[in-house]
Amino acid sequence: MQHFALTIIGRDRPGIVSQVTEILYQLGCNIADSSCSILGGQFSMILIISNPEINSKKDFGNAFAPLEEDNLSVFIRTLKPGGEQRPELAGELCMISVYGADQPGIVYRVAKELGDRKINITDLNTKLIGEASRPVYVMMIEAVLPEGTEVETVEEWMTELKQQLQVDISVRSLLAMEL
Amino acid sequence: MAVREVLIYPDERLKQVCKPIDQFDDSARELLQDLVDTMLAAGHSVGVAAPQIGAIRRAVVVDVSHSKLGKKQQNHGLLQMVNPEIIETEGKQVVREGCMSVPDYTGNVTRAERIVVQFLNEAGTLQVIRSEGFEAIAIQHELDHLDGFLFLDRVSSLKTDLFRRKQK
Repeated sequence: MQHFALTIIGRDRPGIVSQVTEILYQLGCNIADSSCSILGGQFSMILIISNPEINSKKDFGNAFAPLEEDNLSVFIRTLKPGGEQRPELAGELCMISVYGADQPGIVYRVAKELGDRKINITDLNTKLIGEASRPVYVMMIEAVLPEGTEVETVEEWMTELKQQLQVDISVRSLLAMEL
Repeated sequence: MAVREVLIYPDERLKQVCKPIDQFDDSARELLQDLVDTMLAAGHSVGVAAPQIGAIRRAVVVDVSHSKLGKKQQNHGLLQMVNPEIIETEGKQVVREGCMSVPDYTGNVTRAERIVVQFLNEAGTLQVIRSEGFEAIAIQHELDHLDGFLFLDRVSSLKTDLFRRKQK
């Protein structure tokens, strides 16, 4: 079945989720995976959807027009076959906390270090906190370590970066138990 | 002695409150053995509760001594528990749990860090132990099964809850 990624974003207010999902329900769409959150003042929704009757983006017609009229931005992406399937992510999970005085390049420098070493980021949150005069940047990363890479090793790589960026970084393994 | 099939939600037996085992008879001993066999056959499993194999009775087995992270910590090896009851808890820890009966999903659950649990062991003798860390988490997870709770009922945060604080 053809799957689509639906992204919706707009000024947060009560009722966005119900408005969006009512349309999907009326269309007969399945919602597989989804994640929705507030970023700044914006409510952001990302959903993987499918419908046995809908094979191309144009089949949605103007079903989402009411959302646009309510100042929500709607974007649909057609997934390639199999694009809805989550890859098997083997390897140890770890959490990386990065925080310090706000400056350009924190996200990029940390992400580059990880990407260059084939560490897969599975979740990333950032937030600017504190006083406007002394803003503090906080970033939380959840990542999967490739085989042979230990948490201690990642910590060593981060130690160098910590000095260069003058931020605090800590790495720890994420307790995960299959029971 | 038998490896039993592990039930998967939405099997309704996973949502029932289990009955205490009043008679420590052959059927109770057989149940414990089946739980141990099923746990071993599941390879990576560190515990199984009776309702997971379709027995609505208060019995669980736990053994973290073979798991990668569990064996680094103090533990009691194989625990076979009949009518287990947590009588004391202390501290809090967050752990990401998964469950054989709820495949493909994990969630962050807050559990007590240290517990005191009493139960009848495989010899039918009352035993009281103090447990902490991984083993304590496993015991709490398995005991929840006896009351029809899945870890899904205990999820305390979606991913990082640091950012869920009230906005100024």
